Amino acid sequence: MTHQTHAYHMVNPSPWPLTGALSAFLLTSGMIMWFHFYYTTLLTAGLLASTMTMFQWWRDIVREGTYQGHHTSPVQKGLRYGMILFIISEVFFFAGFFWAFYHSSLAPTPQTGGHWPPTGIFPLNPMEVPLLNTAVLLASGVTITWAHHSLMEANRKESAQALSMTIALGIYFTYLQMSEYSETSFTISDGIYGSTFFMATGFHGLHVIIGTTFLTTCYFRQQLYHFTSSHHFGFEAAAWYWHFVDVVWLFLYISIYWWGS
Amino acid sequence: MALPLRPLSRGLASAAKEGHGGTGARTWRLLTFVLALPSVALCTLNAYLHSGHRPRPEFIAYPHLRIRTKRFPWGDGNHTLFHNSHVNPLPTGYESS
Repeated sequence: MTHQTHAYHMVNPSPWPLTGALSAFLLTSGMIMWFHFYYTTLLTAGLLASTMTMFQWWRDIVREGTYQGHHTSPVQKGLRYGMILFIISEVFFFAGFFWAFYHSSLAPTPQTGGHWPPTGIFPLNPMEVPLLNTAVLLASGVTITWAHHSLMEANRKESAQALSMTIALGIYFTYLQMSEYSETSFTISDGIYGSTFFMATGFHGLHVIIGTTFLTTCYFRQQLYHFTSSHHFGFEAAAWYWHFVDVVWLFLYISIYWWGS
Repeated sequence: MALPLRPLSRGLASAAKEGHGGTGARTWRLLTFVLALPSVALCTLNAYLHSGHRPRPEFIAYPHLRIRTKRFPWGDGNHTLFHNSHVNPLPTGYESS
């Protein structure tokens, strides 16, 4: 028997799960060494190891799927389940930060003035840059849908154009948020308001950067003819992740920026 | 023992047809240029017009703000990551600018 008689993917042995676990340990212990002892070597090693693991692991998946044909229908179905479960886990991650925000803002303590926002906090006007950020992400949801339909209709030029517009909008959002962070009169050290605001929006911003990177990878893969009009799960996974990031922002905008102001 | 071929879900001819209510690429391209991008442009204009520098709040040394239970692991440990000396006071008050 020189070939498999089933449609599943028996993955070849790979070192990346081990290097990933080692890099996770380096990252966690590295953060502790940095925060408590101002020592950054472990953290730097962890960042390098995790970046290399991600690059090589995902490169191998592209090789297995696009070049070696291992991503049959049942395999793709498994990948879809995997991405959906991952996004659900991220929903729970953000749920924690929203819990913290509502816990503190629904019953403001006397120590902060007995009201929300606390005394001395001057929140951002939700109708200025935060509204723009909302428009930017919603627009990027429209452009990525255009890109997906163009891809399914085998229109190379338009799917590249729409995907690049989505990426540009993601970069615009990140730029706007970074400039907002520099302009706020409150900081992360300004009590519970600062903590909840910057933890929630900060992790969201990190996810926007991750999503933008994922979309950029899809752009280069599309240019290299990796996708077909009926098989492009990498693109769909990126699109799902991007919509998730957009929805988290909508919750942030309504809860923290609007109701919380 | 060949696996049955998955029938193509959309033939070439149906790629041009956009289904009831029109949800093909053409529709989303239209939405992009007629709704999404103009909204971004309008909101950009709105944010820019309202962006003038406001007078900064007076400094009052509230104990629940500017918390420093542990120094930050960068710089002098007393400045936040996106510190802007014009609008962010230190625990002791605004810096010279």
